[in-house]
Amino acid sequence: MSAQAAARPARGVFVRVGVALLLIVAAAGAFKLFDEFVSLRAVPPVEELAIERVELDPDRVAMTIRNDGPDPVRVAQVLINDAYWNFEIGDPELGRLESTSITSDYPWEEGLPLGIVIVTSTGVTIEHEIAAATDTPDLGGSTFVTYALLGIYIGVIPVALGLFAFPFLQRMSRRWLGFFLALTVGLLAFLLVDTLGEGLELAGETATALDGLGLFAIGALLAIAILTTLEGRLAQGSSSTDRSEVKGLALAYLIATGIGLHNFGEGLAVGAALAVGEVALGTFLVIGFALHNTTEGLAIVAPLGRDGKRPPLVQFALLGVVAGVPTIFGAWLGGFAFAPAWATLAFGAAAGAIAQVIWTVVRSMKGDAAITRSLPATGFAVGLLVMYATGLLIA
Amino acid sequence: MGGIDRRRFLKRAGIAGALGGAAAVPMAGELVLAQGHKHKEAVREHGRHLAQSVTRGDHGHGMMGTVGRVDHDSNGFHPLEILTDFDGGRTSRDSSGRTVREYEFVAINKEIEVAPGIFFPAWTYNGRVPGPTIRATEGDRIRIHFTNTTDHRHTIHFHGIHPAGMDGVPGQGEVGSGETFVYDFIAEPFGTHLYHCHSMPLVQHIHRGLYGAFIVDPKKGRPPANEMVIVMNGFDTNFDGENEVYAANTIAFGYLNDPIVIERDELQRMHVINVTEFDPINSIHLHANFFNLYRTGTSLQPDEFTDVISMAQAERHMIEFTYRHEGRFMFHAHQTEFNDLGWMSLFEVVA
Repeated sequence: MSAQAAARPARGVFVRVGVALLLIVAAAGAFKLFDEFVSLRAVPPVEELAIERVELDPDRVAMTIRNDGPDPVRVAQVLINDAYWNFEIGDPELGRLESTSITSDYPWEEGLPLGIVIVTSTGVTIEHEIAAATDTPDLGGSTFVTYALLGIYIGVIPVALGLFAFPFLQRMSRRWLGFFLALTVGLLAFLLVDTLGEGLELAGETATALDGLGLFAIGALLAIAILTTLEGRLAQGSSSTDRSEVKGLALAYLIATGIGLHNFGEGLAVGAALAVGEVALGTFLVIGFALHNTTEGLAIVAPLGRDGKRPPLVQFALLGVVAGVPTIFGAWLGGFAFAPAWATLAFGAAAGAIAQVIWTVVRSMKGDAAITRSLPATGFAVGLLVMYATGLLIA
Repeated sequence: MGGIDRRRFLKRAGIAGALGGAAAVPMAGELVLAQGHKHKEAVREHGRHLAQSVTRGDHGHGMMGTVGRVDHDSNGFHPLEILTDFDGGRTSRDSSGRTVREYEFVAINKEIEVAPGIFFPAWTYNGRVPGPTIRATEGDRIRIHFTNTTDHRHTIHFHGIHPAGMDGVPGQGEVGSGETFVYDFIAEPFGTHLYHCHSMPLVQHIHRGLYGAFIVDPKKGRPPANEMVIVMNGFDTNFDGENEVYAANTIAFGYLNDPIVIERDELQRMHVINVTEFDPINSIHLHANFFNLYRTGTSLQPDEFTDVISMAQAERHMIEFTYRHEGRFMFHAHQTEFNDLGWMSLFEVVA
């Protein structure tokens, strides 16, 4: 009797939900059938095309395009450097969000600008400018290694160098430790602003239909959610009296994760820029990144200095891996398969991670009176300035 | 005891968390890499075949040019017909014995294909761009019944000598929707002339396609020749103030795809008219040959012997030339950007 009573309300709910859904579907069908708003739609089609990827091989231009707008688009002709040029296209009729590829045997010049214009059937033009044309790296062994080395040089090595500052931190007074923790926060705050800016710029470059801003927000909020959960788990495992706080090694790992995600974005940006010839891998760039990321290594070990005891060396190695190795993956992705949508997601995740880490560090500092007594504001300022200054080198 | 547990836990949790984040990324990266790879494959694939709806436009001039062919039947006019269809109108004689030529002109809106697959919303005289080529002898009376079926007001303004009331400007010969006006004037002076709409804004009323040739022969005529009309025009398809398509007689690369066949050793007479908007200057250059230039066609003696002549808008010349060798010869604008955007043509000289 009681089981039946329990079952009946459940069935009733299903029936009601089913009826509601049917009504919605019927209403939508009727709307489409009778189309009361047909007069309002008597406007020219909105034609948008996103040129997602351009691959350059000797005397050949290949691009992937996607219909970015609400109405179907028909590709009619292609202009390369202001000349109509022969091309081949997969399917010139593109419905919503459909993509196709266009290839053209065009003798582009290394290092010179390349302007591509797609002309649709209504005469609308969609432009794409490549500042300095260069051969797109092929998915080959040696280029993989090159990008991996890039990742190591600008990611892993500098972070490792920063980690070596730990003995120095250990011998510091609590006040100076507070200074360095504040420096960490300043550093991370700068990184946050930087990542936000670049991420939003990428969101702007993303195909409108794919909602770059949405992707950025998803990346950021998911990262915050995941890291907050992670932090909670770590705090629970802690033997300290205050179970809501994370200290020492756990905090270092959190910071390393946030920085790792940021470095993934950095690798992505550098890899993508290298692939299209937008940046020369000069010594300035490498030194600049090294300095920039060494200070990140400092940020990671700052919380370790507080506990007083030195964790095993293998922990340092792991921290370095967590913070530095994502640069390699970022460089690979950026070099070979860059698409603004994915990059926006990655930068969003990085921004969210950094924001969450900043919040964690600040909370951990507040509890410790010895640390917050003096010098934190100076430390914060110095952190910002150091990042800005080293950033100038890689501009 | 708790400390060792915590350390191990932190180590595992820390690595798991970081690697979890890092693992998701390579997986996504894998997807993107695979997609990028797939696209490259697809691109190579299509590079080997011809796409179904688009054919390779190979004119033997390398890889430049538009792809595909314009549907001239849909347009309602063919570039090779426009070239030579001189319209003498409905002829009669008035009381003084003067020849009267009557024409019906209708202003019609029409979407025309100016390059394969590129459509332009044109304003036309009689459904074609350029409009009908009016041909008369100096002294003939021209009478044009002009009806406007479009929503915009239009006129027909002639480059010639005529009274103010026949000038075809707002207030003198402008007609609105459904209205008719009869232009009536004497064809003078002799030469290569043109007509176009003079309603405002002037740029749009010309650019949209309301123009055509107006040829007036001298009373004593000229030596026999194969006569042609080339109207140099351009189309700003995205309305941004610059032309995306340039052409001789409206169709981009029209005479590249359908070369003009002329005879070797035959005198050619070409009436060249410039109605290109947005660019201050256009030009025509003949390959492998020089021409006698009759500026505006208003002289019986040539003004110059050259192979290239520049023209501002509404400038027009009559050029005469003879090809002494057989084969294919280009003629095009020497503003090379116009060349690359459609104003490039071919003569095929046959025996």
